[in-house]
This record gives sequence, structure tokens and C-alpha cells, in this order.
Amino acid sequence: MWVDLIITLVKILFIFTVTVGFFAPILTWVERKQSALMQDRIGANRAEIMGFTALGLFHIIADAVKMFTKEDFIPDGANKFLHTISPILALVPAILTFAVVPFGGQYTLFDKEVNLVISDLDVGLLFVFAIASLATYGYVIAGWSSNNNWSLLGSMRTASQMISYEVTMGLTIIGVLMVYETMKLPEIGAAQEDFFRWGFFLQPLGFIMFLAASIAENKRIPFDAPEAESELVAGYFTEYSGIKFGMFFMAEFIEMVTIAAIVTILFFGAWHIPFLTTATLLSWFDFLGATGSNFAVMLIHIAVFFAKVVFFIWFQMVIRWTLPRFRYDQIMKLGWKILLPLSLANILVTAIVIMILN
Amino acid sequence: MAYYVNRNISMTWWERSYIPEILKGLWLTSRRFFRNLFGFLPFFLGTKKDRRIFTVYYPEEQVQYPIAYRGRPVLAQNEDGQPACVACGLCEIACPAYCIHIEPGENSGKQNQYERWPDVFNIDYAVCIFCGNCEEACPEEAIFMSDDCEISMLDRKKMLYTKEQLLVPVADLQKRIEFTRNMYAKWNY
Ligand code: SF4
Ligand code: SF4
Repeated sequence: MWVDLIITLVKILFIFTVTVGFFAPILTWVERKQSALMQDRIGANRAEIMGFTALGLFHIIADAVKMFTKEDFIPDGANKFLHTISPILALVPAILTFAVVPFGGQYTLFDKEVNLVISDLDVGLLFVFAIASLATYGYVIAGWSSNNNWSLLGSMRTASQMISYEVTMGLTIIGVLMVYETMKLPEIGAAQEDFFRWGFFLQPLGFIMFLAASIAENKRIPFDAPEAESELVAGYFTEYSGIKFGMFFMAEFIEMVTIAAIVTILFFGAWHIPFLTTATLLSWFDFLGATGSNFAVMLIHIAVFFAKVVFFIWFQMVIRWTLPRFRYDQIMKLGWKILLPLSLANILVTAIVIMILN
Repeated sequence: MAYYVNRNISMTWWERSYIPEILKGLWLTSRRFFRNLFGFLPFFLGTKKDRRIFTVYYPEEQVQYPIAYRGRPVLAQNEDGQPACVACGLCEIACPAYCIHIEPGENSGKQNQYERWPDVFNIDYAVCIFCGNCEEACPEEAIFMSDDCEISMLDRKKMLYTKEQLLVPVADLQKRIEFTRNMYAKWNY
């Protein structure tokens, strides 16, 4: 009982440290530096402590200090309560989705089964989508409560875009569910031990559509119509400053990590290394004893998982700094006229293939 | 009313499917990314001087501005220390921002001496728009645009430069003088 509690607490602490403590701040730096490298620039590097700039890493600290010390501004005529609560509504779901995201398989440590997921829900995948779409309320309320036309337009665009792409996202997932016959994320991950059973090979179209839809869900370029700087100032968070603004940003970055993690689990073999089964890995570390070898394999799997997550974050950044923004009607067209029929077709084809193979 | 723009773009089926073209774009940008990522390393390790990045670390690194650059206007100072200006006031009139203030001084007819010179010559850089009209108007090759643009100050009053602050030895201005001669072809007047 106590052991279970401690294990769960350790897992929660780990995930929280990794997402909020590591990824969210470091991604602000990565975004600047990566865009700089892609555009032949140098990037932010002026923040310094005692003459050291550390490649601009201190900008993270400078940003945090700035966010916390800026005036927290609430515009005239804004609804104070809703204006304050909406960044929290946006941020909390982003972190919450990690409750069901596995970052490793099952390992036997000291005769105890350790499952590297905080809560192994039966409806894990649905939970992710349910919670992720709750964040929409945060964005919509943010725009609506701040008494600003740009914000309102932005939040309306958010709402319509979210609805359009959630449909595609949900339908793409059905293909994956049909292939792996489970909704538990750890089981989907475990089913991809064989390289050629990775979701990417079984659902190639599903992968592309899922990635597109989830980037649209995250409202990043090329789908950033809700916050389009050149059209709507900053969209739904025009009227936000200080740490509330920072929370929207944090939500965006954590959502990026979530997307990367989900894509890794569903389509890129989760924590598995290609052509290297867990049994083989375990046999390599036999000399460490039962617990020792399990522990070593666990560390390797966590490292592999996060390496893949980092790759997909990088990939999203590349997309963000390569493609221009879609026009609003193009977004809607892509969502309803192209992705939706394609995802339906994907389900049909998957079903037929599964039936023939059985 | 729906309005359609015919952009005369005919795309092949391959381009229309969008995904391959996206991948091409991603390939291009990520190639840049890796080239610069590893191109940076020798620079930071100190084994290479150039870093293949055009960004200039401005205060530490400076670039030579092209000769046509219009920085703050300065007065040419002859070898004997006097300004070349004869206080004719043409630049004052030509100045669209009215930021030049001249009070002339003249001698009482002694031979072999300067006849006229400015007693007071002020340019208010807070007002100047760096148009170069003064330089073009001057018949005596006495006022020139320099390449100095670092004149930001915390106090507006300090931006009113007096004659002493404006004077620059004519030897330092040779390039710009050559340039203005070509530009305005003053010997044709
Ligand atoms: S550059 Fe233009 S604005 Fe400035 S002093 Fe000369 S004429 Fe006046
Ligand atoms: S136009 Fe030339 S000579 Fe005449 S006052 Fe101005 S600087 Fe002096």
C-alpha cells in the first residue's frame, strides 16, 4: 500500500519535473535558437550572469523574472474572474494529460511490478482527448472575457478550429484502436515491440493526419489563425500580461510535449528500440541480477522514449518555422473537406484489411 | 460577393497533394539547421574565425557603412583649424527640419584672411532627419554627412551640437567629398 503510494508519487514528481520543470522552460530557448539556426541567425544570447551567456540559456531565467514582475493587467470592462481563471483552464489540462501517458513499460523491481504510467486507465486514449479538449474552454473564455474585439475573434477561431480538427483527430485514432485492439496507452506501446508493427507502418496515413490535426489543435503555425499576429494582434491572449501570458505560453509548450509523446506512443514504437526486444535488452544486463537488469532496461527505455519525444518536438519546431500560415478558409477546407473524408477512408481501409487478414 | 483572383498558377497533381512539397521545404530548412548547428561548433571551439552567419554582434562588432550612408551631418574643418563654411545660410534654408542655426561673423576687410565664418553653427540632431539637403545645398563643400549614427542620448538638450562639436578635419572626409562631387557634380554649376 505505502509502496504503491510512494511509487505513484515518484512517478508524478518525475513527470511534473520533466514537463513543467524541464521541457516548458527549455523549449522557449529551443524555439529561439532553433529558428535562429534555421534562418542563419545567432539567436538570443545577451542575457548573461557574470559574463557567461551559456548560449543564451539564461534567457529562461530572465524570462521568468520578467513574467513574474510585470504588471498584471486586466482591461476595463473585462470579467475579472473569467479573465483570471482562463490561463489556468488552459494550462491545467495540458499538464493533466500526462497522467495517462506511459514513459516506459513494465518492470519488476524487488519483486514488485512497476508500471511506468501514473494512472493506467482503461480509457487512457479517450481521457487524453477529453482533457485536451477541455483546454479549449480556457482559450475561448480568455478571448471572450477580455473585452477586446481581436481577442473575441481569436477565441471564435479557436473554437471552430478545435471542433473541426478534433473530429479528424478522433477518427484517426479509431484506426489505431482497431489495429491494436486496446485503448490503454501502455498496451498500445507494448504492442509495438516488433519494428514492423509500429503504428507508422500500420497506419501511415493516420500518422500524417494525426500530426496535422494535433498541430492544429495546438494552434501553432501553420494553423495559428486563432493568434495570428498579423491579423489579430495576438488573438485570444492579446489582453494578457505577466505570468498569465506566461501560462498560455507554457500551456502551448507543454501541449507540444504531449503531442510528441502521444505520437511516439501511437505511431513510433513508444519506448522500444527498433530490432531490439526487451528480452534481448534484459539478457544483456543479466550480470546485474533480476532487479538490476530490470532497472537498467527501465532507464534505457525512458531515455529512448524521451529521445523520440525530443525528436518530435524538434520536428514540430521545424514545421512551425518552415510553413506559412494557412488562411482561415483554407484551414476549414483542409479540416472538413480533406482530412475528415481521408480519415473516414482510413478507417474503412483499415477495417477491410483487418477483416481479410483474419 | 465572392471575388476570385486568378493567379495563373497551374500546379501538377504532385504539387497539389501538398505533402511532398512540405517535405521538400522541411528538408531545406532542416538542412540549414544542421549545417549551422555543426558550423557553429568550430567557431565556439575557437578553431575557426568566420561563423557563416551574417548577424553582427552590434556594439562589439561593427561594419563599415557604405560611403553613401547618411549619418549625422558634420562641418569640414580646414587645415588651419577654421571651418570651411562661409555662413552663407543656404543649408539653413535648405533644411526641411529647420534644425540648423547660423550666426555669421565677418572681418573688416583685411587681406589674405577669412572673410566670413560662422560665429555660431548649431545643428539639433534631435530634430534633424538626416536627409542630406544641407550637404547638397552647400556651395563651399563645408558640410557633409558622416557615417556616425551613434548619437542617441538620454537628454534631448545634449543633442544640440555646437560648432566646436561639429567640426571634423577635412582630411577625414575625403571619401565623402569625392562621393558628393560625383553625386552632385558641383563643378558643373
Ligand atoms: S540632414 Fe537634412 S535635416 Fe539634417 S541638418 Fe541637413 S538639411 Fe537639415
Ligand atoms: S551652405 Fe555651406 S557654407 Fe553655407 S552656411 Fe551652410 S555649411 Fe556654411
